[in-house]
Amino acid sequence: MSNLSLPNKPVDWFRNTITLAIAVAVIWSLIGLEIKWERLIDLPGDLYVIGTLMFGEMNIEDFPDLVGAMWESISIAWVGTLIAALFAIPLSFLAAENLVGRPLAWLIRQVFNLLRAIPEVILAVALIPIFGLTPLTGVLAIGIGSIGTLGKLFYEVIEAIKKEPLEAADAVGANKLVRFRWGVVPQVMPEMASFVLYRFEVNIRASAVMGLIGAGGIGNDVAQALRFNDWSVAGMGMLIVIFGTITVDAISGAARKQIIRGSSAKSLTPVEVQA
Amino acid sequence: MITFRNVSVEYRPGEKALDDINLEIQEGEFVVIVGLSGAGKSTLIRTINNLVPITDGELQVDGNSVGDLSRSGVRKLRSRIGMIFQGFNLVDRATVIQNVLMGRVYKLPTWRNVFGAYPKKDKQIAAKALNRVDLLEKAHSRATDLSGGQRQRVGIARALSQEPRVILADEPVASLDPPTSHAVMQHLQKINRDLGITTIVNLHFLDLATAYGDRIIGLRGGKVVFDGKGSECTPEIFEGIYGRSLTAEDTLQEDI
Amino acid sequence: MQASELKIPKKPGLRGSVMFSISFAFVLTIVTMITVEFSLLEIIENFTRPNMVVDGLLSPDLTQIFSERSRSAFLETLQLAILGTVSGGGLSLLMAFWATDFGNPIGWLRVVVRNFNNVIRSIPDLLWALLFVTAVGVGILPGLLALFFFSMAVVTKLTSDTLDGIDQGPIEAARASGSGQLSMLRMAVLPQILPSYASFLLYGFELNLRASAVLGLVGAGGIGSRIEFFRGRLEWSEVWGLVLMFFLVVFLVERLSVTIRRRLV
Repeated sequence: MSNLSLPNKPVDWFRNTITLAIAVAVIWSLIGLEIKWERLIDLPGDLYVIGTLMFGEMNIEDFPDLVGAMWESISIAWVGTLIAALFAIPLSFLAAENLVGRPLAWLIRQVFNLLRAIPEVILAVALIPIFGLTPLTGVLAIGIGSIGTLGKLFYEVIEAIKKEPLEAADAVGANKLVRFRWGVVPQVMPEMASFVLYRFEVNIRASAVMGLIGAGGIGNDVAQALRFNDWSVAGMGMLIVIFGTITVDAISGAARKQIIRGSSAKSLTPVEVQA
Repeated sequence: MITFRNVSVEYRPGEKALDDINLEIQEGEFVVIVGLSGAGKSTLIRTINNLVPITDGELQVDGNSVGDLSRSGVRKLRSRIGMIFQGFNLVDRATVIQNVLMGRVYKLPTWRNVFGAYPKKDKQIAAKALNRVDLLEKAHSRATDLSGGQRQRVGIARALSQEPRVILADEPVASLDPPTSHAVMQHLQKINRDLGITTIVNLHFLDLATAYGDRIIGLRGGKVVFDGKGSECTPEIFEGIYGRSLTAEDTLQEDI
Repeated sequence: MQASELKIPKKPGLRGSVMFSISFAFVLTIVTMITVEFSLLEIIENFTRPNMVVDGLLSPDLTQIFSERSRSAFLETLQLAILGTVSGGGLSLLMAFWATDFGNPIGWLRVVVRNFNNVIRSIPDLLWALLFVTAVGVGILPGLLALFFFSMAVVTKLTSDTLDGIDQGPIEAARASGSGQLSMLRMAVLPQILPSYASFLLYGFELNLRASAVLGLVGAGGIGSRIEFFRGRLEWSEVWGLVLMFFLVVFLVERLSVTIRRRLV
């Protein structure tokens, strides 16, 4: 039996280049960063100690204050989301190519893209000198920061509407405003309401985080507690954040389901911009 | 009432959807337009209310020259022409009565339309239109919750509430089953007979065309190739219109 | 015909649940507005009053990129993001496998891994950073640890979702040919998910790069430390200069990453 030889394996340049690039990048990073690796040895022990300090014994007296702070975080998220929706709704109609001309839609979309690119935390950092360490800072950071995402979700809904009701409105002699009121609004309302609630859920997390740099809410309390080694307060604060977030998610999620079921709308959760 | 004189429509230069159409439609006629898909039926019907603008010739509708109307003139003309669509074109999430009241749009001030605050008189007109298609008891149902035939009857009621001089129906039964199709056609016929509204219907089922059309107009490649009484229409004539022999798909009932 | 008035059926009232929801949302809005001491007047007043933040935004100091220390902070951010993604994203492949029934035959371990994944996913990036700053002190290490856990959470979630949807046929075939657990994963599972997994890694890298900008605000190294430094000195032109440069870097990296991801999938 003669030896069979496999055809030569083709060289995958794309894959090889990428692999090499990653390897070089990792080595470069390892050399470049001056990390005190020896601190890692103590890390598990330290984490264990901190964990027992945080969750070992809790003081029930801290509970009301922390729940109040969590409520403040939720409030910041809700008011901020509403402000964002207030701006995003009219703007998104101007960003829908099926309603307005391409140049205007393009311009508004760039505004959305810009707003989407700025992390809320950075916004909060910029707003603190203007509004001080108050909840209003958090509200505005969330409000401004969510316009972009909400606007994008909204105009995608608007662009997916059916054309037929618009044709019917034209055929009965409706003017632009009436055409919009009956041809567009009923088709987009339920999805928009559901997306506002979805964004509210996301923003609760954001507002909890923003507190860490002083923009009001429970994050503030947790950050202070960690800074001053007030472990049990920090631990209880984290548990309240997790529990509060899950609770609001459940309520808001149920409301969204109701909206969608009641209106036979299409989607419950926006398709995340990933992969 | 409706006069086409050398009317042509081009969507793109050189591509004629309608080619030199000459037609005269009298007040109160019930006209059925037949032809293969792509023959220009939908285009023809949409030129009458200017949903498709004509590119050549002259089109007179109810004393107006359609090509020369201003934007508000077009809206006024459309308000007097009811239209019924293949896909019903209802506002799905609105109620039946709200959909029918859309027919009153032109006669009412914008704020009333926007807020849905309709005067009693207009509600009566809408109710009568709904009653005529036997759907009054469904007035407050949502349009999505109705069956296909019911939805098309809402479409008819919407057109009726315009108190129109002309009703245009573009393949009104194409998405319905046979019994429902007959019910819808009978409603249209009865409205035409009772109220004397000029009615123009696009159909591709030949048996429906001969059963309901007082007059049949055949289109092929954007040209009128037949114009005569429905009763005179023989299978041979249809074969001429279609340019091929007939098949089972050309009729609503399986047997010819 | 005209004489008889038709009776339109009575309009049904709003359903109880709808009424409840509307009033609930209304009351919620009022109460939350009181909680955050919302005041339109204050917002307008504060924004119209001249302030150095806006002044700084209008004249950002773009020369920051030429400053030695800012540049090294940028590089630090980039290196943190690379190491964080490679380590966290690498481990997430294992975590994702362990959360599936074909990747992990031990039932209770599967449950533990799944719950662990859920918990780490619920903790936001900045909180990770603060936790590790507390544990190991200010510096780059807490930043790296934060990015490690953060990207592990994200990539594990995405990879698990992909694993749930793969074709089970090759797994059966590998088992039928008597291959062991490890070679089964290598031959039957890995090829199916590799392109998506690579694209998730890049996505995690983008997220890490963004996150690394804010980590510094709590003392976890990178460009954020530099932003925090200028903020502390109220030098807003420099702050905005850095932020703008950062966006430029993020934008370029994202372009590159999106291009590669398109080729992968």
